[in-house]
Amino acid sequence: MLDEKITKELRKIVGDKNYLDTSEDLMNYSYDAFVPEARPEAVLLPLTTEQVSDIMKVAHREEIPVTPRGAGTNISGGSVPMRGGVVLAFTRMNRILEIKKEDRLAVVQPGVINAELQAEVEKRSLFYPPDPASMSVCTMGGNVAENAGGPRGVKYGVTRDYILGLTVVLPEGQIIRVGGRTAKNVTGIDLVGFFTGSEGTLGIITEITCKLLPKPEANQTMQAIFHDLDLAGKTVAKIMEEGMLPVALELMDSVVINLVEDSAHIGLPREAEGVLLIMMDGPQESVKLQVENIAQLCRDQGAAEVRIAKTPEEENALWFARRSAFGVMARSRPNCIVEDVTVPVSKVPTMVREIVAIARKYELVIGVLAHAGDGNMHPLLLTDEREKDEWERTQNAIRDIVLKAAELGGTLSGEHGIGMAKNQFLDLVMDKETRRFMGKIKKAVDPKRILNPGKFV
Amino acid sequence: MIMRSKVLLSEHTKENLYHCNKCGLCLQACPVYKELLVESASPRGKVQLCKHVLEGDMNLSKKVNDILFSQCLLCGSCVAACPSGVHQDELFSGLRWRATQRYGIDWSKKVLFQTLSHKWIMYGSTWFVKWARKLFSGPWIESKIKLGNLPVDGIPPFNPKPFNREFPEIVKPEGPPRAHILYFHGCATNYVFGDIGRAVVTVLSSMRVEVEIPGDQGCCGLPIFLSGDRETSLKSIQETVRLFARKDVDAVIVDCATCGSALRKEYSQILRELRDLGEDVEERLIKDAELLASKTRDISEFIDEHMDWLPEFPTTEGPVVRVTYHDPCHLLKGQNVGLQPRHILNSLPNVDFVEMDGADTCCGGGGEFQIDHPETSAAITNRKIKHIHQSGAEVVATGCPGCNITIRSHLDRSKVKVLHTVQLIQMAFKE
Repeated sequence: MLDEKITKELRKIVGDKNYLDTSEDLMNYSYDAFVPEARPEAVLLPLTTEQVSDIMKVAHREEIPVTPRGAGTNISGGSVPMRGGVVLAFTRMNRILEIKKEDRLAVVQPGVINAELQAEVEKRSLFYPPDPASMSVCTMGGNVAENAGGPRGVKYGVTRDYILGLTVVLPEGQIIRVGGRTAKNVTGIDLVGFFTGSEGTLGIITEITCKLLPKPEANQTMQAIFHDLDLAGKTVAKIMEEGMLPVALELMDSVVINLVEDSAHIGLPREAEGVLLIMMDGPQESVKLQVENIAQLCRDQGAAEVRIAKTPEEENALWFARRSAFGVMARSRPNCIVEDVTVPVSKVPTMVREIVAIARKYELVIGVLAHAGDGNMHPLLLTDEREKDEWERTQNAIRDIVLKAAELGGTLSGEHGIGMAKNQFLDLVMDKETRRFMGKIKKAVDPKRILNPGKFV
Repeated sequence: MIMRSKVLLSEHTKENLYHCNKCGLCLQACPVYKELLVESASPRGKVQLCKHVLEGDMNLSKKVNDILFSQCLLCGSCVAACPSGVHQDELFSGLRWRATQRYGIDWSKKVLFQTLSHKWIMYGSTWFVKWARKLFSGPWIESKIKLGNLPVDGIPPFNPKPFNREFPEIVKPEGPPRAHILYFHGCATNYVFGDIGRAVVTVLSSMRVEVEIPGDQGCCGLPIFLSGDRETSLKSIQETVRLFARKDVDAVIVDCATCGSALRKEYSQILRELRDLGEDVEERLIKDAELLASKTRDISEFIDEHMDWLPEFPTTEGPVVRVTYHDPCHLLKGQNVGLQPRHILNSLPNVDFVEMDGADTCCGGGGEFQIDHPETSAAITNRKIKHIHQSGAEVVATGCPGCNITIRSHLDRSKVKVLHTVQLIQMAFKE
C-alpha cells in the first residue's frame, strides 16, 4: 500500500471519485485480456493532461511504478501492473474534441473508443481505417500505445499510419506536444513514431490527433473455397504478387470452419481445407472490376468455388464466420490463446503448414486464422491453463511457432504487442546492439524506470 | 424444498466461469459500465470478482455484495455479447443469493416478495391492491417524491380491481377456435396494466383464439430470484409450472418480457442448478419446466406467427401516428424477440414506424435497481429518453411493464405516450 501522505496527495489530484483502492478495485485492475495478473496499490482515473502531469511528478519523486491502461483489452499483458504502484486508467477521459473535415483530422482524448470515433467520422463521410477486433471496446490511447492493426491493414496499414500528433506526459511530469496537424511533417526526429507502439514505457499519451480519409464509395466481399490449405496460402501470395489491393484478405482453415459450422449452422463448406475472405473497396465501378479480376485469379489458382456477396445481407453472412471465429473457438475450451506472429507474405503458405504440423506434434487443437494479406498469422490455441501438462504443451507450441516465424524472416508480433507475452523471445528477432540501443533510450527518457516496468524494454 | 446446501455455485456454473478469457468485449454491452466507466462495474470485472470469491482469496465482503447488487441490472446484455458463452446472469444471481443470506435483505422487499409469492393474496384479493394504492398514491405522498430514480407521480395508478377478476377463466372467441392458449398475465398486468391485459384478450379473441386465464396464477418468481431470495422464489416457480405446464394447449402466452424469459429460459436452468447443488428437485418438475419452456411465446411473437388470423384492418384515413420501439432486455437478449414487434408495427395502418438510436440499450430500470441505485439508473434512463425525444415519435411501443414504468415516468408525457405493442394493434381496430 502507498503511504498515507502520498495517498492524500494523489487523491487530491484526481478527486475521491477517481481514486480507487479497495481490495476489490485493485483486483479488478490486476489483469487485461492476457493470462498473468498483478495487483496495483491504487487506481487513478485522470480527466486532464494536467492531472496526469501532476501524478507523474509525485510518482517520479517517490519512485512509484505507473502503468497506463485503456480498456484493458490487449492480449500481451501490456496493462498489467507487474511491479505494483499505480494504474492510470483513461476510460473517463473520453471526449472527441474536434473533427475537422477540410483538414481530414480528428482530435481525441485517449479514452475515446475506436468504434465511437469511427461512427462519428463516418457520419461526415470520413473514414478512420484501423479496425482491431476489439474496436467496439478498445480505446484510442491503447491503440496508439500498442500500434494496433486489424483486417483492413492489408490496404490501409496500422495505427501509426494515421497519427499526426500527440500530447505526451513524460515520466518526470513534463508535457510535450509531438507531431502536429499536417500530413507532411519532418520537423525534428519522428517522435510520433517513437511513442506509437511504445506500450506505455516511454510516456503517457493524453491527446491524439489522427488522420482521416474520405470514406470509400463502395465495398464488396467474396469468399474463395479451397480443398487444399496449401493452395489457399499460395493464392494469398499470388494476389499480392499480381499487384491487387484488397482491403482485407483473411484465411481460415478447416478447424475453424468446422467449429463455426458446428455452432452456427450457416452452410459453411465443411469439406473445405481453406477459405479466403477478400474485401475490395473504392468507387463503385472499380470495385466491380477488382472483384471480377480477383475471382478469376482464385479460380485459376484452383479454388473449388467462389462466392461473391451481392447484397449487404450476403456480405454479412460471409463475414459472420470470420467474426464469430474467435468466440466459437473460445467457447469450446477454457482458454483460447491468440498468437500473432507475422511473416513476409511469400512465406504464408509455409507458415500455415508449419502451424498445422506443430498442432499435430503437441497434440493440441490449433485453428488457423490469419490476416493473410499482410502475413499476420493468428493461430488460435485451445487449452486450459489449469491442466499442467496441456498448458506446458501449449507453451512449447507457442515457442515453436515463434521460432519458425523468426526463421522465415518474420517477427514476433504483428499487432498485439510484446508486453509480457513475448519478452522472452525478443532475442530471436533483435540483435544485442539494437536491444542495447532501446535500453539507452529508455534510460534517458525514464531514468527511474517507473513507466510500465517489467515489460519489454 | 429446503435450502440445505452451503456450496456457492454448482460445478457446472463454476466451470463456466473459467471460460471468461477476460477479453473485455462485454464492456460495451453493459449499460452500467458505460455510465460508471470503472472495471468493477463491468461484467468482466464482476466475473473476476466472483472467481476470486469462489477460489477463496477474496471475501464475499459488503463491497462485493454492493457491487453485485448496485452495479448490475441483470439485463443479460453481457450474456448476449460474450463470445466465450459465459453465463454472467447465473453466476451473479447465485452469488447474490449467498450475499443475501449473509447480509440480509431489505425489509420492504421481503414483505413485497412474500406477498407476491403467496397465492392466497394473489387470488385477486383486493387487499393487496388497496395497500399498494395507498402506498404509492395516497394523498400523504407529495407528488414530487421520488422512489429512488422513479418519480412517483409518473407511476400509473393501480387497477381498481385485479385484472384476472374481469374475465372468466375461459374466454371463447366468436366462431370455432383456431387455437387454445393459456395466458400468463403476470403481476404488472394484474395490478397496474389492466389495459394491456384487455388488449391481449381482445386481439387474441379477434384472431379466434380461445384464451384460458388460470385464476390462481401468481408471480413468475424471477424478480424475487434475481434479488437473491431463492427460497421464496421457488414457491412461485413450482406453482407456475403446476398451472401452466400443459401438453393440451397450443401455447402459453406472456405479455411481460421478464415473465417470458423466466418461463422460457430460467426455470429449468434454476431447477437444474439447485439439483446440482444437492437440493431435492424432482426430475418430473424439471421435465415439466421444459415442457412449459417449449410452449411459451411472447404475445408479439405469437401474433406475428399468425398474422393471417388477424381480421382486416379498417382502411379509414386516420391521422398517422409516429411510433418507435424500445427493446426490453429480457425480450431481445433474453428471448431473441425483436424483429416480430417491428414487423407488426410496420404492418399497422396509420402507423409511421421510426427506429430510434440505441433502441436495444437498457432503459436503466432493472426492476428495483432504479429504486435502490437512483444515480446510476438516472444516467442510463436519461440517455434512453433523449433518444426517444430525438426520434420525434408520439408513441413508444415496448413489451415490458418494467420498461414501460421507467420510461413513462421520465418522458415528457404531454408529447409521448408509452404503450404495449398489443395495445397499438387493438387501437388499429378501433379506428
